[in-house]
This record gives sequence, C-alpha cells and structure tokens, in this order.
Amino acid sequence: MDQEQLVKVFTSAVLARRFEAKIVELAMAGELPPSLHVGAGQEVAQIAAIEALRPDDYILYGHRGVAYMVARGVSLADMLADMAGKEGATSRGKGGVMHVVDVPKGILGESGTLGGSFVVSVGVGMALKRKQPDTVVTYFFGDGTANRGPFHEALNWAAVQKLPCVYFCENNGFAISMPTSRSTAVENIADRAAGYNVPGVVVDGSDPVAVYEVMEQAVARARAGHGPTLIEAKVTRLQGHYVADQQEYRTDRNAVAEKDPLPKLQQTLCDRDILTQADVDDIQADADRQIEAAVAAMRAAPLLAPEVALQDVYA
Amino acid sequence: MPTRTYSQAINDALAEEMRRDENVILYGQDVAVWGGIFKVTDGLLEKFGPDRVFDTPISENVMVGAGVGAASMGLRPVVELQFADFVITAGDEIFFKAGMWRYMHGGAHTIPLVVRAPSGGSGFGPEHSACPEAFIMHAPGLLCAVPSTPADAKALLKQAIRLDNPVIYFEHKLLYQMRGEVPDGEVLTPFGKAVVRREGEAVTIVAWQDMLRRSLTAAERLSQEGIEVEIVDPRTLNPFDRETIIESVKKTGACIVVEEAYRTLGVGAEIGALLLEEALPYLDKPFKRLAIPDVPIPTSQHLVDAIVPSVDDIYRAVKEIAD
Ligand SMILES: Cc1ncc(C[n+]2csc(CCOP(=O)(O)OP(=O)(O)O)c2C)c(N)n1
Ligand SMILES: [Mg+2]
Repeated sequence: MDQEQLVKVFTSAVLARRFEAKIVELAMAGELPPSLHVGAGQEVAQIAAIEALRPDDYILYGHRGVAYMVARGVSLADMLADMAGKEGATSRGKGGVMHVVDVPKGILGESGTLGGSFVVSVGVGMALKRKQPDTVVTYFFGDGTANRGPFHEALNWAAVQKLPCVYFCENNGFAISMPTSRSTAVENIADRAAGYNVPGVVVDGSDPVAVYEVMEQAVARARAGHGPTLIEAKVTRLQGHYVADQQEYRTDRNAVAEKDPLPKLQQTLCDRDILTQADVDDIQADADRQIEAAVAAMRAAPLLAPEVALQDVYA
Repeated sequence: MPTRTYSQAINDALAEEMRRDENVILYGQDVAVWGGIFKVTDGLLEKFGPDRVFDTPISENVMVGAGVGAASMGLRPVVELQFADFVITAGDEIFFKAGMWRYMHGGAHTIPLVVRAPSGGSGFGPEHSACPEAFIMHAPGLLCAVPSTPADAKALLKQAIRLDNPVIYFEHKLLYQMRGEVPDGEVLTPFGKAVVRREGEAVTIVAWQDMLRRSLTAAERLSQEGIEVEIVDPRTLNPFDRETIIESVKKTGACIVVEEAYRTLGVGAEIGALLLEEALPYLDKPFKRLAIPDVPIPTSQHLVDAIVPSVDDIYRAVKEIAD
C-alpha cells in the first residue's frame, strides 16, 4: 500500500465516521429512523480491505455501518434517502440503510438474515468465473454471523469450485450482547479455514497496511483461480450494537476509545510527514461539506410515493 | 405428434434451452454424472459438459442461494432439489433470497432462477412426499408452475427458464412415466393461463398433477352416469388465472378443489376465498375441498391411500353435489 492509498483510506474513514455521526444525530432528533448499526472502529479495516480490490470487483456486506459504500463513492444523499424513504433511495424505500445497493459501483447488497450472503456470494463467484473472469467478490461479515450454517455450506462449495471469493470476517468480539468467547468454540474464526482447505489469516484490523496486504494476497489467489481465502480482522466495536444500545452487558465500554484506529492512523500519517495538521483539517472540513450537501439534498427530496411499495417484486 | 414421457419432456426442455442460451446452467445433487435420482437429467452432462451441468454437495441452502447470486450476475441457473419438501430446508434462500433479493434492493437485481422440485408420490415418508406449492403461492416474489402433462412439463419449463423471475417448478414424481403427445419445436406455455381439460355443466373441479389425473378418471366414471364435470388445470399458481375458474363457476354453479396437500390454508382455501369475494352470486352449492387432512404424509402405502384424495373420493364428492 503506497502513501497515496493510505491517505485515501484515511480520507474515506474520516468521511464514514463523520457521516455516521451525522446519521446518529438525525436519528436522535427523530428525523431518520434509528436503524444504523454504527461501524465506528471498524471502518479502517473495511476501507483498507476494499482498497485492495479493483473498482470492477464486487462487494457483499454486512450490517456494520456504511464505510463499504463510502469507500466505493456511493452517493451520501442517496443513502440518506434510503433511510428517509425519499426519492433517490438506492433500494427505493424497500431496504433502508441495510440494503444499500449500487451495482455499477460493485455494491451488490445485503442479506437481512445474517449470513445469507455467504450462499449468494458463491453464486456471484460462479457467474464471475464464467462471465467476468479476473474479477472477485468479497463478502464482509461479523464473527457472530460466522456461526450460521450457510457459512459452512458456502465455504465448502466455494473451495471445491475454486471460486473467486474472499471471505472477510470482522471479529469485534460481540454479537449484540453475546461475547464471541461464549458463542464460538474456536479461538479464531480463521482457524475454521482448515476445514475447507483454504488459507485462514488473522490480521490486526486496526492496521490498514496489514489488512491491505492480506487482502492483496487473498485477491491475487482468487483471481488466479485458486479459490477463496478466509480472513479474520480483529476489530473493536467502539459503540453499541445499534444507535440506542446502552451496552450494560459490556465491561470494557469505557475503555474502548483508546482502541480507536482512526486517531492512530492520523498520527501515523502526520508522524511520517505524509499529512500536515492543515491537511487533516482540510480532509475533515471537506467531509463535513459533503455531508451537509447530502443532508440538504435529502431534505429537499420528496417522499417516495405510496405505490412504490407495490413495485419491484417482479422484473 | 411424437409422444414423450413427462420425464423425457423435462429433459428435452432443459437440452433445448441450454442449446439456445449458454447462460443456462444446471446443477443439483447427483444430476450430472448419474443423471439425477429420478434420471430426469440423464445425458445432459455429456451434451453440455461439466462447466454447465454439475453435481453439488448436499447443501440445499447454498444450492439455492448460489442460484440467486448467479442469476443476479447474468447466468440462468436451473437448480434441482432432490425432493420438493426441501424448499423448506432451503427456506431462507427460497423465500427471502429468491423471493425478496430483488425487492429489498429496489429492483436493482433480476433473478432468472428456476428451482426444479420433485413433489408428491408416496413411500418416501413425511419429509419426502409433499406438494408444498401453497407455501410458494403464499410468498411474494416466487412464480410457481405445476405442470400436469408431458406437453406442459416441457413448455412450462422452457418458459420458466426464459422468465426474468424466480420460478419454483414442481414436477410430480408419480407423473414422470406418464406418456403423452409433445409438440416439436418452440412451444412455450404462458404463465397465468389455466386450461379447461374437460368441459361439463355439473360442477367445476380445479385440480393439477396427480389430482388432475384422478379427477379425469373420476370424470369418466361420472360421465357414464350422465354427469359431466368441468375440469380446470391452473398450470401455474403464481401467476394464478382467477378468470378461468370464475368463468367456469358461472357456468356450473359449483366448485370442488382437489389437492394433494394439507387442507388448512392450502391452494383450495385460496380458491374458496376467491369465490367468496368474486363469485358468490354464481355458486348454487357449497364450495368443497378435497385435501389431505392436516397430518404429515405417512410412508406405508395403505396409510397414504387413507389420506390422499382418491378417484372414489372425487366421484363421491361430485355425486353429493350433483344429486
Ligand atoms: C439469521 C439472523 N439472526 C439474527 C439476526 C439479528 N441480528 C442482527 S445483527 C446481530 C448480531 C450480529 O453479530 P456479528 O455477526 O458479530 O456482527 P456485529 O453486529 O458484531 O457487527 C443479530 C443477532 C439477524 N438479522 N439474522
Ligand atoms: Mg461481532
């Protein structure tokens, strides 16, 4: 990962962090539904992983935040419209913040049932192998999601078919209130890779360069026709499971802020003279400008017409 | 006109569509090398090669879910489940992924997927004998075909493969060896067009697949006694041709639905509700359902016979109404 890419990851992560904060603010004010699962703490890993993909590679994602979409340049206004049920909504009021879709940007969507995209990713891989060789699909999912049955069926069959799939687990140690240690028999989700005869790699999700490097290898393997890789990034969920979660179940909730990878990345960029404090200020101000413009556009957009509820069931 | 079995007709449809469109792929358990446990896909691997016809692990969730993913990216997968009951086993993938992936992404995806599901019959036990079409008919986003003749088996499947929506295609296990005329060439049965299999004035019977066959046999017997029944074969349950049923009931004033499925909230219940809403003035006799009482389907044949509507049951039900 070169310096330019590292700055790009930082810039996207700043935008994602501030955009989500704005969404929470609007949700608290009652202007948007409180349906976001804030991704704070996990954006650096998510965005660094996407940086290792080409723009023509595809992404299936989980519910943890909107950084995936931000990294791919999906319109912020359209995502706000998704939440507000307004014109411009990428899923036309059907999927909210959970099912943001932008196929030309490679954002294929999300399964509301956790892990549903394991099995979808296999089919996407089958189609890519036949119709768009040299492209790959990455599925981002949580540690809790890894305990669903489709994980097993998909990993096995993707491995058998040597599909161009990358499985990227964001292990934040929790599934809502349930610590991973109480739900999961192995220490690392990546340990399960052995059961599918694919590489399993654990990586520090607060280190964008490390994440990028393991992704680069996994993507190269997938492109070369050698099949999937199971990556597990150890990450920290800085906030509650969803907007209003008070996290009474969490003993570390007052100590997590120091695990935030974003200020660390900023420090690194400044220490290495890649960015000055003035650059950082500019990046933040620019993010805020984009967000304000998006909020204004969302506010100006009309609500989707009621009959839209009847559309899009069939082609 | 050439005659083919129902099973051969399905095989012909698959071969013709795979020849026509290289995006059509076929997979399922034992379908390639062995030709399927019911031998429906025999010879297709040899014709189209392992890239387009392949065996899968015993993984119903990923078989169907991958079908959705592959369809959304431009392939036209035909997935064989070994038994129709397994639409429940792959419930998330059938009802949520196939049925809703397009809707929940605002129409961004198109899912031209066909799931072939061998239904009905007996001797296989409670989890291998059902005709679960009511579950599918109940669910938004899923088209549902129930071919009853070799000609329709072929023409409905060819049509299903060309549609841009997911289709659950039920092929009845007891019909596989049924022989009938199948026109050569490009014949497609449109979805949503029922057919009147027999005309009559006494009562409208709605039935499909093996229950249609039994109804036709009962109708012969009734005809010898001067009772002429009208039999409507819906051919597809979604879309569902309400018009043809209502038109028939206007003529006969009575309706019996015969179905090889649990009675409560079955397809018959839906037809009863339809008649209440839209055809009550034409009904001279109470609406009737012949269905499986709400029990699972047992394995022993004589126990199956005790619960699945028989030719005698149909004969008696018509007599009660006609007398
Ligand atoms: C099949 C299914 N079960 C349960 C839920 C409800 N649910 C939504 S998110 C979540 C926790 C997921 O945990 P994890 O996969 O670790 O992701 P994280 O929230 O930690 O990012 C649960 C239980 C669901 N959406 N789907
Ligand atoms: Mg988690």
